[in-house]
Amino acid sequence: MSVQALLTEYGDKYLQALLTTWRLTAVSFAAAFLIGIVITVLRVCPIRPLRLFGDFYVQIFRNIPGAALLILLVYALPYLQIIFPYDVCVLIATVLIPSAFCSEHLMSGMNTISPGQIEAARALGLTFFQMIRRIVIPQALRSTVLPMTNLLVATMLTTSLASQVPMRPHDLTGIVSYINTRDAGGVTAFAISAVLYCGTALVIGRIGSLIDRKVRILR
Amino acid sequence: MTRTSIRDMLYEAPGPKAQKRIRFFTGLALLLLAALLAAIIRQFSVTGQFAEKYWSFFAKITTWRFLGEGLLTTLKAALTGSAIAFALGFLLMRGKLRRNRILRAVSTVLIEFTRGVPTLLFIYFFFLVVPKTGWKPSAFWKITLPCAISACGVVAEALRSGVNAVPKGQTEAALSLGLTETRLFYKVVFPQAFRFVIPSLIAELVIVLKDTTFAYIVTCADLMQNAKVLISNHDAMLSVYLVVAVIYILINYILNKISDRLALKLRRMPAEGSKA
Repeated sequence: MSVQALLTEYGDKYLQALLTTWRLTAVSFAAAFLIGIVITVLRVCPIRPLRLFGDFYVQIFRNIPGAALLILLVYALPYLQIIFPYDVCVLIATVLIPSAFCSEHLMSGMNTISPGQIEAARALGLTFFQMIRRIVIPQALRSTVLPMTNLLVATMLTTSLASQVPMRPHDLTGIVSYINTRDAGGVTAFAISAVLYCGTALVIGRIGSLIDRKVRILR
Repeated sequence: MTRTSIRDMLYEAPGPKAQKRIRFFTGLALLLLAALLAAIIRQFSVTGQFAEKYWSFFAKITTWRFLGEGLLTTLKAALTGSAIAFALGFLLMRGKLRRNRILRAVSTVLIEFTRGVPTLLFIYFFFLVVPKTGWKPSAFWKITLPCAISACGVVAEALRSGVNAVPKGQTEAALSLGLTETRLFYKVVFPQAFRFVIPSLIAELVIVLKDTTFAYIVTCADLMQNAKVLISNHDAMLSVYLVVAVIYILINYILNKISDRLALKLRRMPAEGSKA
């Protein structure tokens, strides 16, 4: 099928799919970011069990394949009488996995802060949480703009998991297999989705490097 | 002074008051975590998921042999995929570092394309479109090739950053000794660049391994697919999927640990000629 034929037939479906992917990406990334910060605070706090819990959380969700996590959520959890709708399962998977990577980035961002600053903060009498909130997190965030940009793109790619459950409306990957099972969409159907994914990734990357140039701390 | 991480820098040795507070919160945290664990165990037992029939077949050697076969296919797909991704990534990296403008543009577009498109889309492409062209790859290749393609752009960028990390002075020295550009690249620059990027190549192997989990789409008998057979044989969904998830997590954890170790080691021994 030609691009034109595909777009007249499925144009609004593609638009909906693009918006679905964008929405999933934005919501997942925002939630993953918040959880990532909380987990990171746990991982550096002086309370040992919480530290270990944070490390454990990160290792689990950094290393589990997205498909395995989604399958657990969709098919296995109901056996524990924990049942989520399909779209919630997808959202949980696309939040948990990026949140672990978010925490990893924040940890390496923290390592760029010089110990002298921590000593200075302590000398000024800041409490642990004041120090975390005013000294550590702001700098860790500023030096991790590029990794976070990559994480946002990775989150978008992870949302393609949505195509593995019968979710409506389709996301950008789901729409392609939908079209191909009904029609011979062929290469073109793939190309449209691929271009939309890539375009989004490029825009995210561009904005990320603009922000990075603005806030990066030159040492 | 060697400082392992900021974690140990954030607070000094606590005084008696702080020690008491930390002890209190440690107790509280332990209590909360124990409650969480208890809630999980309770949920398992109320729903009868601890029943013997769900777990007893894990004592049989045949179960593990079957899962092992699947795991072997998974590892084979991941290693083959990574090798192909490395070859493609190498070509793209060479293309992007060329002076020829067309070659550079093509490589850049391909790198951005493979980095910006989810692996699943490539898998569906090999699943739905490729067989219609007359070329019918086996299930193994239908999962391995898309995973490789999806990884090659990232590999290319990793290799490029490795090449850029080799000190310029070496290139200048080699050129002034009369080495050709090709020999300069293969004898001087690339061996060192390769050393820099080994950790990120292992990290990439983890990503490819994770992507092969989608093998069930093309019905390739990998770990996940064999798990599904096991589930239908024993009617044990939760236990099998949990065990399989743990296997994946352990393998990836080990690979990531190796990658971290190597990265740390490489950081400690800088390349000749770089200021450190």
